[in-house]
Amino acid sequence: MVASSLRPDSEIFHSTSLIPQAPTFDAYRRGWNGLSVGFSQLFLNSLLISMLVVIGNVMSCAMAAYAFTRLRFRGRGFWFAMMLGTLMLPQHAVLIPQYIMFLKLGWVNTILPLTIPKFLAVDAFFVFLMVQFFRGIPRELDEAAVMDGCGPLRIFLKVILPLSTPVLATAAVFSFIWTWDDFFAPLIYLNDIEKYTAQLGLRTFVDSAGQSDWGALFAMSTLTVLPIFILFLMFQRLLIEGIATTGMKR
Amino acid sequence: MPNAAAASARAVQRDDLAGYGFLLPWLLGFLLLTLGPVAASFYLSLTDYSGLSAPNWVGIENYTRIATDDPRFVTALTVTFTFVLLSVPLKLIFALGVAVALNKGLTGLSFFRAVFYLPSLIGGSVAIAVLWRQVFAGDGLLNQALHALFGYEGPSWIANPSTSLYTLVLLAVWQFGSSMIIFLAGLRQIPQDIYEAASIDGAQPVRQFFKITLPLLTPVIFFNAVIQTIDAFKAFTSAFVISDGTGGPIDSTLFYTLYLYQEAFTNFRFGYASALAWILVLIIAAFTALSFLSARYWVHYDD
Repeated sequence: MVASSLRPDSEIFHSTSLIPQAPTFDAYRRGWNGLSVGFSQLFLNSLLISMLVVIGNVMSCAMAAYAFTRLRFRGRGFWFAMMLGTLMLPQHAVLIPQYIMFLKLGWVNTILPLTIPKFLAVDAFFVFLMVQFFRGIPRELDEAAVMDGCGPLRIFLKVILPLSTPVLATAAVFSFIWTWDDFFAPLIYLNDIEKYTAQLGLRTFVDSAGQSDWGALFAMSTLTVLPIFILFLMFQRLLIEGIATTGMKR
Repeated sequence: MPNAAAASARAVQRDDLAGYGFLLPWLLGFLLLTLGPVAASFYLSLTDYSGLSAPNWVGIENYTRIATDDPRFVTALTVTFTFVLLSVPLKLIFALGVAVALNKGLTGLSFFRAVFYLPSLIGGSVAIAVLWRQVFAGDGLLNQALHALFGYEGPSWIANPSTSLYTLVLLAVWQFGSSMIIFLAGLRQIPQDIYEAASIDGAQPVRQFFKITLPLLTPVIFFNAVIQTIDAFKAFTSAFVISDGTGGPIDSTLFYTLYLYQEAFTNFRFGYASALAWILVLIIAAFTALSFLSARYWVHYDD
């Protein structure tokens, strides 16, 4: 239903059949230039933010998960309990102070509030996911590596990470999709239209184009969904298994 | 063996160092972006902070005003509860039905699984809300179809306060895919020989469903229900996009999160919004706790 209703670009055939009789990319051209900045800029913004989030999430969450599962240090149990606690805490409890903090730091209207926290493993869900996975990696491998004179860093890089590509990929793909799709955080943190993400741009476009140009609106809607669709096709099995075994939302 | 003791002490120390080294990013994030803000948020909820001047202590005034003198809070709460109580059960029933059907007829399972899951994946995006807005508009696809099929002239479903919320419920139910996949995984866990035994005893499929499938699936149903309820309380994007950020028409789609957003980022009443946020946190916590309490009576774990 989505695909077919997105397709009719030529407005004249508005109400007839589902398949456009004279397909045209005209709506895409109109939509692409429909805002004061081109959509290409907004797509680049979204892409940059999403890529940074992927890198940040995978790196920092893997580090934390490694510490929790493989290293013995004082206070580990305590911090692990804290991490589990944050899993259950709704974002709303921290939203406003975080906003005020970023405002005071002068980070509002930059991509920093959207990316830097991800380098600090704030998505406890991914930490938890990786903890579960790392636990399944035999400890003998670490011990063998220790015998060979490896320190924690080398064990992490040479033993754990290479064996963990499935969970790292799951975290990466979900990070990308959720960030690409996210509307709320960009809405509160980004003000200038040239800094907007594609989602925000689309929203703005709805208001400026209004009811008048459904063709262009659908064209741009399709384009914002396209990256997710492509990722879905590429990683279908991974995503579905991720949902089935861990119960990730959405 | 003083040397060995010293060596092992050093080893413990080194692990402390490595442990905190690897934990550092998370630890910083936890202290600066979670623990600190949680405390600050609670403090702000007891002030009338506007972001301009210093926070002004008002005690529980925000909370008393919310409880006694804020009609929009009541509206937001009603809208949100209506949404949760309608969308979550409908979504779960739908997800379970489709999962059972898919589990029966295995041809093309992975294809249909993917088709049904996709809406859940893209459903949170602005594009889908835009699409929904068009479908349920006065001249939208739904009314065009109704006109073509029955000659019925439908109203603008999203501009009508008595129907607008239900279009959002429908949108949420349509995104049943992730629940469905979890149900499918749960159905796979049920041993087939139970069904065979039941068939020999003469149990019909419907009876098998209610006597075997449903009871054995209760842990998965419970899990899905809790996750989806928490998610539904936090719904935001669809209502924001469809109502242009107003929660209209006449506050009929004023989700709690939308009201919270307006108070904080449109009216800059950070103190008041913090109090609203805490009430939402408490509501979600209460709902979760209630679910876990009720689980004792209807969730069966085999042990």
